[in-house]
Amino acid sequence: MNKFILAGVSAALVMSAAAGSQAQTKLSRNEIINSLQGAQQEVDINADQIQKAAIENIEKYPGANSPQSLPLADKLASLRQFNIEITFHFDSATIAPESYEAVGLIADALHTPYLQGQTFVIVGHTDAKGARDYNLELSIKRAQAVREALATTFRVPGETLASVGLGEEQLRDPASPDAAVNRRVQLINLGYK
Amino acid sequence: MRFAGLRTLFAIVIVAGLPQVASAQTVGFADAIKILAASCGKDITAHCESASLANNGIMQCLDQNQAKVSQQCNADRAVVAGLIQARLAAQAEAPKVCQRDAAQYCKGVKPGAGHILRCLLKAEPSVSKKCNTAIDLAGYR
Repeated sequence: MNKFILAGVSAALVMSAAAGSQAQTKLSRNEIINSLQGAQQEVDINADQIQKAAIENIEKYPGANSPQSLPLADKLASLRQFNIEITFHFDSATIAPESYEAVGLIADALHTPYLQGQTFVIVGHTDAKGARDYNLELSIKRAQAVREALATTFRVPGETLASVGLGEEQLRDPASPDAAVNRRVQLINLGYK
Repeated sequence: MRFAGLRTLFAIVIVAGLPQVASAQTVGFADAIKILAASCGKDITAHCESASLANNGIMQCLDQNQAKVSQQCNADRAVVAGLIQARLAAQAEAPKVCQRDAAQYCKGVKPGAGHILRCLLKAEPSVSKKCNTAIDLAGYR
């Protein structure tokens, strides 16, 4: 038994040393909280409207890449939000194990009293490679996958979480449409119901 | 990452052995699920590639394949589920345990947006040990 306790203690030391050295670069729960808190009391926009805007943008301005940014872009940009990279298996909506921790961090943030009672939309984005409607579908499924993981595995109250996919309609770096930085999941605080 | 698994295993053993030590830690959801990724990541890729992290999909798939998955993964699955459960329970408990302290030290503080928690954190030296411990266990400090 003594031997095991010693093993436990040394493991704890290794862990804390590692945490210390990563503190500067590693994403933390508090960063997510700080970015998301302080939402406007009432946000006059909902998930359905955001989703509809993306579908309409593709229909209205067809082509390989969108010549027009999303009409709601400015409004979305004004809301409290956070971008996080989540890795999915190639061409699939399955969250890769290396991103479990990232999903857990979102759960850690959403479970704090600082963010309770507010509603959030999980927005999936892709880069601009491939067809726009295909990317839209994939991003919808990926955002749903994150929402489901949060609502079931991590018990974030489902009624506070919506998901939408914007495909490549709102690139983070429009100058490099195919860049990896465009593939991301965004959390937007839609305020109190 | 094996260390992480071992460490948390011990946390649980200690909790189970000495239930009166209520201050035994809980871990956050990220730290808990990280153990699953580390212990079972390879097995998930090999046997459960299309299983979902949602609706217990990964856990069920690993369970169905328990003869094929690594010993470490089989051992840590239950640990991870237990850790998530423990944190959820602690978070459900904290507002109840701290109700009296909140009424005493946070009079007039508007509830919501974490205002009460902020107040209790600030009042830590006066707040009861029980409530401070509950805040720690919930991971709210």
